[in-house]
Amino acid sequence: MKLLRLFAAGFTRSAQATLTFRINLLFDIVLSIIGVGASLATVFIVYARTDSLAGWTEAETYVLIGTFQLLSSLKNAFIDPNLSWFPENGIRNGKLDTFLLQPAPTLYLASLARSTPLSLIQFVLGLAVITLGITKQGRPPAPGAILAWILTLIAALAVTWAMGVLLACLAFWAPRLQLDVFYGSAWELARYPTDIYRRPLRLVLTYLFPLTLIATIPTSTLLNGPRVLVLGPAVSGAILSCSLAVGCWRLGLRRYTGATS
Amino acid sequence: MSQLIALRIRMEVLEWSGAWWFLLTLVVQAVLGPLIGMFIWSAVYPADSYVATYYVALLLVTVMTESFEQHTFSEKIYDGTISHELLRPQPVVINTIGTNLAIRIWMAAMGIPVALLAGFAFGVSLTWTAVLSAVPAFVLGATLTFCWTFLLSLTAFWTERVHSIVGFGWTLNTLLGGTIAPLAFLPGPLRDIGQVLPFYGMLGLPADVAAGRVHGLAPVLTGLAYQAGWLTVIITCAVLLWRAGIRRYTVVGA
Repeated sequence: MKLLRLFAAGFTRSAQATLTFRINLLFDIVLSIIGVGASLATVFIVYARTDSLAGWTEAETYVLIGTFQLLSSLKNAFIDPNLSWFPENGIRNGKLDTFLLQPAPTLYLASLARSTPLSLIQFVLGLAVITLGITKQGRPPAPGAILAWILTLIAALAVTWAMGVLLACLAFWAPRLQLDVFYGSAWELARYPTDIYRRPLRLVLTYLFPLTLIATIPTSTLLNGPRVLVLGPAVSGAILSCSLAVGCWRLGLRRYTGATS
Repeated sequence: MSQLIALRIRMEVLEWSGAWWFLLTLVVQAVLGPLIGMFIWSAVYPADSYVATYYVALLLVTVMTESFEQHTFSEKIYDGTISHELLRPQPVVINTIGTNLAIRIWMAAMGIPVALLAGFAFGVSLTWTAVLSAVPAFVLGATLTFCWTFLLSLTAFWTERVHSIVGFGWTLNTLLGGTIAPLAFLPGPLRDIGQVLPFYGMLGLPADVAAGRVHGLAPVLTGLAYQAGWLTVIITCAVLLWRAGIRRYTVVGA
């Protein structure tokens, strides 16, 4: 409860700071709309040439892009402002020392305390794109499918956070290793159905670096209804990855000796 | 002037050699668009060898023509360090060109193995004659990309959202330059727009020539003329914008 209050206070402060700069706000809104427009244009261009992309129809791909947009906005709003450039800012420049001295869990302060509320514009646009896809498909999802979709989205968000923390943890052992940019680049692979990628890469994206969970699995759940064989591994995978992230963070902290005096 | 640029390139190449990890992240970001395009269009046309050949050529063109003037130039306007360069007896753009070419040299060194790997995985074979005939279009395309990014970066004199503006330019380039889809795959009206705008000349045209898609001398010469035309327009705009910007620029402190 205390953490939630802390989170809400931090978010409110960030929102106030963002709204102060109106022109910047306008720029970011316009750029977000252009970004979503470019994604939709890609789908339009592809489906002008084919009826099916690796088994996905145009309407299904719109839902997939919308779902990807939702998760990207949450990642950009709550995870990236904290964990990007962590090896440099947190470890090498010693910002972690400040977190260790504060009366809140260090993992929370390092991975979730700051936010960029403006990124949530993409969330609204993502919902609009999903609505467009579902309308185009002409078959509204059942309430059970919507609930299962929300569950897979939460699992995907948890895995996203856990992967970010795990990559940040590497900095405790190798402070110069800056892998989050690669993570950000690899993240873009989830924008399209993972079925388009060839077999070795598809297996990597499904099991080793589970980007399939980001958009493909939630979208399939929303469109085709919940399946225990998908929901079970998604939820257990999320729990496992979060536990692994917390464990690694504790191990790393034990090793950390501080960069400032 | 060319001597000054050469000296600057040498200095910047040495300076950037210590940031190989960061350069690698730039390469990864640059190759991602062409790679995704290759996967998408290979799924649509699995039997068409043109798709993979085009995208491997595009990957090469992209890594060797990336421009980051919103970082290497605009940031100097924001932190005021451009004042130091204004005091030197040489055009400010020389340092920007030197930095741009040095980064491109490093990115090419790191990006070519990625292109070779992608070519090997997709069974692509580029012919030497096609690659060599793409050199003039590539040089003009690379210059066009630099001038376009530099032009957008000059808006830093008026706004602090230069990264958003360059991001918008990048989106246009991705959509109409041939990254999302080869120009030939775009629907009719979009293809017509793409052919008129400068973005195809930056990426798609050199890639198409290298992939052996453009046959005969006449279409290559038409492409070069169109690149040269856009280059003239963009350079003129950049000069005008620079003059207006520098008149507006003020700095506090000594």
